[in-house]
Amino acid sequence: MIELENISFDHCLKCTVCTVYCPVAKATPLFPGPKQSGPDAERLRIKNPELVDDSLKYCSNCKRCETACPSDVRIADIIQAAKWTYWRRRTRPRDFLLAHTDLMGFWGTALAGLVNRAAGAGVVRYLLDIFVKIPKERPFPKYSTSTFKRWFRDHGPDPSVHPDQAVYFHGCYVNYQNPGLGRDVVDVLAALGVGVRITNEKCCGVPLIANGYLDRARKHARHNIEGLARAADQAGGPIVTASSTCAYALMYEYPGILRQDNRAIADRIQYLTRFLAPRLADRPDVLKTPVPLKVAYHAPCHLARMGGVVDTVEVLRRIPGLDPRLLHSECCGISGTYGFKKELYPIAQDVGADLKEKILAVKPDLVVTDCETCAWQIEFLTGLRVVHPVTLLAWSVRGGASSPV
Amino acid sequence: MKYDVLVIGGGLAGLTAALRLAQAGRRVAVFSAGMSALHFSSGSIDLWGRNPDGRVEYEPFNALAGLPGLRPDHPYNRCGLETIRAALSFFRDECAREGLKLWANGSRNHFHVTALGTLKPTYFSPDTVYNDRIHQAFEQGPRVAILTFEGYRDFHPELAAASLRRHPLFQKSPVTTGRIRLPLKDETGRPVHELRSIDVGRLFDRDQAVEETAAAIRRAAPEADMVGLPAFIGLAGYARVLPRLMELTGKIIYEVPTLPPSILGLRMDQALKNRLAGQGGLLIPGDRVVGGEIRNGRLASVETQMYGPVRLAADHFILATGSFFSGGLVSRPDRMVEPVFGLEIRSEPLRTHWVGRRFFDPGSHPFLSYGVETDERLRPRMPDGRPLDNLYAAGAVLAGYDPIAEASGGGVAVATGYRAALLVLEEDGDRP
Ligand SMILES: Cc1cc2nc3c(=O)[nH]c(=O)nc-3n(C[C@H](O)[C@H](O)[C@H](O)COP(=O)(O)OP(=O)(O)OC[C@H]3O[C@@H](n4cnc5c(N)ncnc54)[C@H](O)[C@@H]3O)c2cc1C
Ligand code: SF4
Ligand code: SF4
Repeated sequence: MIELENISFDHCLKCTVCTVYCPVAKATPLFPGPKQSGPDAERLRIKNPELVDDSLKYCSNCKRCETACPSDVRIADIIQAAKWTYWRRRTRPRDFLLAHTDLMGFWGTALAGLVNRAAGAGVVRYLLDIFVKIPKERPFPKYSTSTFKRWFRDHGPDPSVHPDQAVYFHGCYVNYQNPGLGRDVVDVLAALGVGVRITNEKCCGVPLIANGYLDRARKHARHNIEGLARAADQAGGPIVTASSTCAYALMYEYPGILRQDNRAIADRIQYLTRFLAPRLADRPDVLKTPVPLKVAYHAPCHLARMGGVVDTVEVLRRIPGLDPRLLHSECCGISGTYGFKKELYPIAQDVGADLKEKILAVKPDLVVTDCETCAWQIEFLTGLRVVHPVTLLAWSVRGGASSPV
Repeated sequence: MKYDVLVIGGGLAGLTAALRLAQAGRRVAVFSAGMSALHFSSGSIDLWGRNPDGRVEYEPFNALAGLPGLRPDHPYNRCGLETIRAALSFFRDECAREGLKLWANGSRNHFHVTALGTLKPTYFSPDTVYNDRIHQAFEQGPRVAILTFEGYRDFHPELAAASLRRHPLFQKSPVTTGRIRLPLKDETGRPVHELRSIDVGRLFDRDQAVEETAAAIRRAAPEADMVGLPAFIGLAGYARVLPRLMELTGKIIYEVPTLPPSILGLRMDQALKNRLAGQGGLLIPGDRVVGGEIRNGRLASVETQMYGPVRLAADHFILATGSFFSGGLVSRPDRMVEPVFGLEIRSEPLRTHWVGRRFFDPGSHPFLSYGVETDERLRPRMPDGRPLDNLYAAGAVLAGYDPIAEASGGGVAVATGYRAALLVLEEDGDRP
């Protein structure tokens, strides 16, 4: 049985435009590219599911192919489904570790000192490289010593003092690795008169999907849909998230590859900059302090696919003093957990090489991007500091000492 | 969200308009649903190649000067000769700034070989397809070899050779054909016949296989002075690879367009988009404009698939959504429609009139000249018959010309895109 009834492969015009824009096919001849691995092969796979081959693993699910396709073929979804519906997979401990960001995060923050030191230590990285196949060259994102959830419970401002309220889906990265970004979100929203609530959320499911744990991802989806819908009812406001990947998952991967009914939240989720853009237009006064920096803006693949780039650009443009330079959008290569796999790591670095060159050509003070994994990759590639657009907003809103300028 | 100008459609027409506006310091955003006709084009810009009687035109500007009398509604007449010239030189300069050199035969047309092997009159060609050196070499009656690589399905040298042999330019030139084996390291196990130009091009973009390819060319065409190769030597790498191949073989090598995706068209697409990004223009790919809100005779904002109810406002809008091929026009069982605004379309009421009797009808297909009708200032009429003050149309979405029969598609897109930009600036009170 075809589990995913994605018959959009039937609309394929065989124009090969998707393959032109696939960053992985560009970097390695080992991947036949979206047209062949997607619509072309799907035709055969439907007749004979045995016809799946190893080369599917090279697809990073960046969705650049879908953005380019003139005929609305959901190419990346076809490939993801083929990968996990048909492929007799050999789960590796590494993929388990990379997939379970919340489990890793729990222990990572609980034992932050130890884990961060271990993850930085040569011997440990060497062992991870050999036995777990996580490349030793790739720096590991550091765990925070406390979670965002805990900070919010103990110190989060009371949302009811504000006229409006929103539900904030913070995601694993903010929770375990960068609670400061979560505080930036809370502060920027508060400045605009919006109080924040959070839920007992689980990982959005993207790393689970990418590593083949579809059942678990479905469980997370159901949990999140229910919790967010309830909270949004109580708040009487929208659901926002500052992670472009979480936003993409909540809006598109849930009803798409996971086949979960997300109608209870679909119309209420907004990527944060979409929520902010019109409000900042009405209240330019909240952006008090100039941020006189030249920044290069990298639009993450999933945000480009969702059509959120316009909003982020608009928000950046409103920050006084800021000189934002837009980079011609292309994939940074990391694609979530992809670039953390030893066999895919060289491809990820190859894909990112173009972007690195373009960023360095701009000679920016900072790089700005909406996606946490893009940020790791760009920091690693360029050595420059990378921040989220909301962090720049927070500097301007708070002013004073929190700003680096 | 508010822009100075919002361009709908990122093909040749939309990008030309956006570049001109960005040059004038306008905040411009381009929304484009899918990839444009450039991905399927030869990379040559046709200006005016054939007259209505089917005769090839060598002096396009003479023909254009007579066009107002002949075809009063032709989009070129909405531009005027001076603007057409300015548009072409602007376009050429913009491409050159990104390293894409376009060659023209003075103000005359030249011929290039199409993917199907026919010869077509055109105005600009990438200088890897045609250039002064090739032009001069023809006077000596060079020996020409057209090569492809074994197993490649998107180009047939025999077809091309057959039509070249019939052409006056090749009277003194013997034309042979041949095949080279590509030095593919067989990492992939993929059969060669599955490879498209873009797959092969990537080898050259990585600077691989240049020496081996040169040796293979020498073996396949030892006698030839000039070698035509299907355009597969890389999207960006060609600028290094082509001179190197010529040096290593001692032959003049030129590129021939292939079936899609066409590397020659892609190079132009990339040049224009990189230039736009460099000028601060915003390009949003993969999003479709689905409608707009009209207030006081002006288009106030548009709605897109991704933005849904969030409206994107602008002072001016340019509709450059292309023809049937790109979804700028759509054919329904009983009529043609312009799907974004439901604009007036010039077409026959009966579908049976739409298609010429034979597919390759020398008179082409009447439906090719259908499209959006505009006033003198490129403003399309709304369903109530009146134009909006700030909506202009440009490129293949326009009615009144036949890009195939006239060999005029690229020229009309560039000229009307440029003209639309000037009209916007004019309305703002800028004397461009
Ligand atoms: C297959 C083919 C090959 C051709 N080859 C040549 C050639 O070699 N030389 C030549 O001179 N001419 C050629 N032409 C003629 C061609 O029409 C013009 O050269 C020119 O490229 C047309 O440009 P355009 O910008 O008007 O339209 P297009 O290139 O068609 O671009 C329109 C763009 O608008 C987008 N769009 C459509 N609807 C919407 C919407 N609602 N919202 C947002 N975006 C939308 C489309 O996705 C597309 O990207 C060719 C035409 C075709 C169809
Ligand atoms: S871009 Fe779309 S239509 Fe073209 S080959 Fe790829 S899937 Fe098919
Ligand atoms: S999702 Fe990305 S990596 Fe996968 S086929 Fe599409 S473009 Fe290529």
